[in-house]
Amino acid sequence: MLKIIQYLLLATVMIMATEKPTLTIYTYDAFAASWGPAPKIKEAFEKEHHCNVKFVGLSSSIGALRKIQLEGKRTKADILLGLDTSIAQVAKKTGLFMPHELNTTKLDLPVPYTDDTFTPFDYSFFAFVYDENKLKNVPTSFEALIKMPKDFKIVIQDPRSSTAGLGLLLWVKSVYGDKAGEYWKRLAPHILTITKGWSEAYGLFLKGEADMVLSYTTSPAYHIVEESKSNIKVADFKEGHYGQVEVAAVLKSSKHQDLAKQFLAFMHTKTFADIIPTANWAYPVVKGVKLHEAFDSLHRPKQMILMDGLTVEAQRKAIVDEWLEAIAK
Amino acid sequence: MLKGLARFKSAVLPGTFISFSLLGFAFLLFFTLYTSQDGNLFSELDSRIYGLLKFTLYQAFLSTILSLLVGVLLAWALAHQSHFRGRSLLVALFSSSLVLPTLIVVFGLIGIFGRSGYLNQISMFLFDISFGSYLYGLGGILLAHVYLNASFASRALLHSFESIPKEKYKLAKSLGFSVWQRFLYVEYPALKSTLLSIGSTIFLLCFTSFAVVLLLGGSPSYNTLEVAIYEAVKLDFDIGMALKLALIQLSISAVLVILSSGFRVDVANLKTGHTLILWKESKVLRGIQWSIIGVFTLFFVLPLLVIVLDGIGADFGRILQEPLFIKSFITSVSLATVSSILTVIIAVLLSNARRNFTLSTRLAHKPLAKLLDGMIAFSGNLYLAIPSLVLGLGFFLMYQNSDGSEFLWSTAALLTANVLMSLPFALSVLTPAMHKTAQRYDKLSFSLGLTTVQRWIYVEYPYLKSSLGYVFALAFCFSLGDLGIIALFGSDDFSTLPWYLYQLMGSYRTTDAAGVAFVLMVLVLSVFIFVPRLFQSNIEKK
Repeated sequence: MLKIIQYLLLATVMIMATEKPTLTIYTYDAFAASWGPAPKIKEAFEKEHHCNVKFVGLSSSIGALRKIQLEGKRTKADILLGLDTSIAQVAKKTGLFMPHELNTTKLDLPVPYTDDTFTPFDYSFFAFVYDENKLKNVPTSFEALIKMPKDFKIVIQDPRSSTAGLGLLLWVKSVYGDKAGEYWKRLAPHILTITKGWSEAYGLFLKGEADMVLSYTTSPAYHIVEESKSNIKVADFKEGHYGQVEVAAVLKSSKHQDLAKQFLAFMHTKTFADIIPTANWAYPVVKGVKLHEAFDSLHRPKQMILMDGLTVEAQRKAIVDEWLEAIAK
Repeated sequence: MLKGLARFKSAVLPGTFISFSLLGFAFLLFFTLYTSQDGNLFSELDSRIYGLLKFTLYQAFLSTILSLLVGVLLAWALAHQSHFRGRSLLVALFSSSLVLPTLIVVFGLIGIFGRSGYLNQISMFLFDISFGSYLYGLGGILLAHVYLNASFASRALLHSFESIPKEKYKLAKSLGFSVWQRFLYVEYPALKSTLLSIGSTIFLLCFTSFAVVLLLGGSPSYNTLEVAIYEAVKLDFDIGMALKLALIQLSISAVLVILSSGFRVDVANLKTGHTLILWKESKVLRGIQWSIIGVFTLFFVLPLLVIVLDGIGADFGRILQEPLFIKSFITSVSLATVSSILTVIIAVLLSNARRNFTLSTRLAHKPLAKLLDGMIAFSGNLYLAIPSLVLGLGFFLMYQNSDGSEFLWSTAALLTANVLMSLPFALSVLTPAMHKTAQRYDKLSFSLGLTTVQRWIYVEYPYLKSSLGYVFALAFCFSLGDLGIIALFGSDDFSTLPWYLYQLMGSYRTTDAAGVAFVLMVLVLSVFIFVPRLFQSNIEKK
């Protein structure tokens, strides 16, 4: 008897659940995590649009894209969220995504952004992060970086497995052009090691293994807000900082296209923009948002270096090869 | 052939069937990949790939030799110093380094040997000299691989040492053998088969190492084939390329497995009774043995201590109440329980079938025996033969081609991966042991006309008990520590503890991650210390 009641209860719950449409969003794990922005965004959007939102966190945003590609037409995903502009072009080429039909010209971005398929929701800048208590002589440019003493070490990520690693590669390429290979050769002695992902590199830095780590200009905000530590700082490079603009797009195969497009529009509201800074540790793309005071102390580069997605896609292999050639011992 | 087969039917058939199924599964996996790629399978391989392959082989070779060397030394010392307090705890500690999430162990190593590790700090304090970043490079890769594998090797080798009949030591003593002669004529023959099977397992493990090699290598010259596979699957999404690289790895491991399984154990080595050795080792020898135990204990235990020190400061009250932690904990533990039971059963059946083809008193002289032997050995090492990224991809494609529910497929994929992962280790422990019981007791059991069940109760079980317990614990902890192939493409319905840990690390939450690592380590250690006790054989207790 109890069992039957249980089944009935379960059935009611399921019926109640299917009453509302469910919007499924594939993203990277840190975004979907319980401490990430996903839970708050889910709550806010569900309240506004009378629906269910389901975030599916994959090991990386590229992983999420590959999952969608493998699932093909059967994918449950309505939205892919979290690629950056360097990789978004790859996704666009698959033809699985549809135009967003939003006006993105009024967004608060340091660079003009005009893609018709992927639309931005936050951004940050790549930067080298250091501990103020340990490093006194801070390099302020790429040139100063290679002139540091011999035992000065940085840790970076592999561009073949990490978007941060790829970001640095493009940063150096944008600054040095044809001479990028040469620069890498001179930087190589200062590279302690190259890790698979951001986590390993940042972990090494926190353990005190490296003097600086490639991360984001917004990283110190985490330490200020969550740990009340203000000794983690960013080295301001005078060549400018390469940007990472995170984007999202709706899938053509989505059964809830209208709702999904409403979500993209929701990403440009104040509600969404208020959640992003202290949950995803990045800048929102909406004008006039009051940021957490921790962000006031951050160095916010005025100019963002960003290579065009098409160029990146066309040259990625060549740039990676040049890098491999230059720093292999 | 038929007559021989009839006699060993119940031993041969189940294991051979499982072996065929495993190989069939592997074939299906590769076939699925083959049908999903766009047909550039025969395009040229990058010259970079050859470079990677060369370094990978070189690095794996060195790592294996060093791991075995350290393993033999340590096992030798422990075997001759068999009575001291905390010995079993030490042996358990040694095994745990292999099954903890690799990255955690490596961070422990860095805490000791790193640029700002304790070693450098102490030398800075005492002599004002820092060794700098010596850890990063080929040396670091080798150090980490020795750390991860030598301890496991020493545990398995210790078992071989302990199975040497004491009569042999008596004989050696009365013949006045030197230590070296004693090792060469008494001990080495007993270790040979274990050395080979463990050696090939370690080689393949180091061959497929990825995160460690990147982390400690320091330069792209020290990359492995796995990097190329990762690039092909994730970045380029070139399934054809991934398939090609996977086939390279498959061929190399096939060659290795065939080479190591072509070896026969000739000397019957099995502990027969409890002849006590009445004499002590010479003073010098004891000194050497104690220093070996001391040095390696420090080497293996200190990095684990770093994990404890890092983790102890975490806010456990909060971590342990996190719903995601609880969910991951339950998922991890239940998956580990099921997969360890499956592993033990499959490992026993495979070893039971395999010994028929390696024993000259059984079917070794029959046609096809060699082939079947190699086949079973290979099927047990599938996990090392197929890159895990490709395994995950293959599973995902199979799921796409079928109509099953995602939950069922994810569960099946995780269980299969966990079992496949533990099998090489389970087999390298069980196969030599079961080979020896057969060698020793076949004649007796056959002349007594024991049935299969009787034979298991009276002959096999008492001798295999402790090995079975160890295999169970090993498989359990492996599954616990595994990141799960499902993390690559799967859903977040399956959060396991290591995945949770990586998630924490990926969003600045290092302190929480250290806390979870600490919980994982406590869990792994308790399983390793208590489970084998439940299986301790009566003979050992006496």
